[in-house]
Amino acid sequence: MDAAYNLARWLVRDDHDAQDVVQEAYLRAFRFAQGFRGGDPRAWILAIVRNTAFTWLKRNRGTDAPTEFDEKVHGGSTEESGLEAEAVRKADGATIRAALDELADEFREVIVMRDIEGLSYKEIADAADLPIGTVMSRLARARGKLARSLKERIAKER
Amino acid sequence: MDCDDTRVLMHGHLDGELDLAADLEVQRHIEQCPRCVAEYAALRAMRTRLNGEEFRFEAPAELRERIRGAIAVSPQTRSAAQPSGGYRAQRAAWMPRVIRFAVPMAIGAMLALIIAPRKMGPSLDQQIAGEVVASHVRSLMAGHLMDVASTDQHTVKPWFNGKLDFSPAVNDFAKDGFPLVGGRLDYIHGSAVAALVYQHGKHVINVFMWPSAGSATSAQRIETEHGYNVEQLTVGEMNCWVVSDLNQQELDKFAGLLRAKG
Repeated sequence: MDAAYNLARWLVRDDHDAQDVVQEAYLRAFRFAQGFRGGDPRAWILAIVRNTAFTWLKRNRGTDAPTEFDEKVHGGSTEESGLEAEAVRKADGATIRAALDELADEFREVIVMRDIEGLSYKEIADAADLPIGTVMSRLARARGKLARSLKERIAKER
Repeated sequence: MDCDDTRVLMHGHLDGELDLAADLEVQRHIEQCPRCVAEYAALRAMRTRLNGEEFRFEAPAELRERIRGAIAVSPQTRSAAQPSGGYRAQRAAWMPRVIRFAVPMAIGAMLALIIAPRKMGPSLDQQIAGEVVASHVRSLMAGHLMDVASTDQHTVKPWFNGKLDFSPAVNDFAKDGFPLVGGRLDYIHGSAVAALVYQHGKHVINVFMWPSAGSATSAQRIETEHGYNVEQLTVGEMNCWVVSDLNQQELDKFAGLLRAKG
């Protein structure tokens, strides 16, 4: 349940809303338990949490679930961020959290799943409904954006 | 491999999700490209930072209770728990008991499903096997097979003094057809380890050695990773990983010799 809550909390960015989302997701999971066709149960429950969270966001905040996007248009992962490893180590937790919160949902979710939750690419593909081949490029973009945002924030704080 | 490719692939490298050939190529590019090495270091620092408990939200205790309660009163779960037909009055009497037992059990099963596979993904052993094979291949490719080239165990063993915080078991098996040819320092799973190099005909055998943590198992596992044979065994207090392109029978024989010295 911790993984479910962690993902929901990062997606909806509010404690109470995240609790509602997890509760709803568990009820759904419970109801559709027959729908579980083997595979990785953690990815399965996270996929339900994720869908519930996006439905919730759309209903309550009017944001659309991340749709298929053109990988070429959203390029930019190959530019270097210029971020320094030392600066990351010294960075304030609040700074990192703010940079992560500001990322678009489709980028924040892969970072949460991979870096915070420790899911494999296969599990991320299952949970986020992505082709396995795009998990790495999505992560590359997400981390690139996070790194650039972090660098700007750290520079501003100085 | 150029910088553009590397900038994407370095994420797979960081996450241990690339196949061996791509992994080596990325590693090689990063090592010799000052711009990529800086970027990679920053990404790695970022990942390490995010990986701790610092950024993980823990589910509040009351949430578990809430969900338990919600499932118990949910009409769907209630109807699922109900038998078909039966007497209303009787049912009313034993229904709460069904809910009291069946529902928490079902929730328990669900939670177990979700909590148990936390360790999913490549196991530690699989990760080490992957690293050991990559190291073996690198040692042959990079022409950096040995730091100390000697067939004399009394030269190789002392060479590690001061380089490692343990003393590896070094033995020569020349009379059995597996001469010791040298040793070097290597890194496996984030620590410095001893790598002993043996030869059998034209085949090179790398033995990676470090003190075994926890219970000493002498379990011998044979794996084939990318066409290489990998065996893991415990010799005395040393955890040994043996890698070679040698066939399994001969590698078994070598492992047997190593073990006999344990």
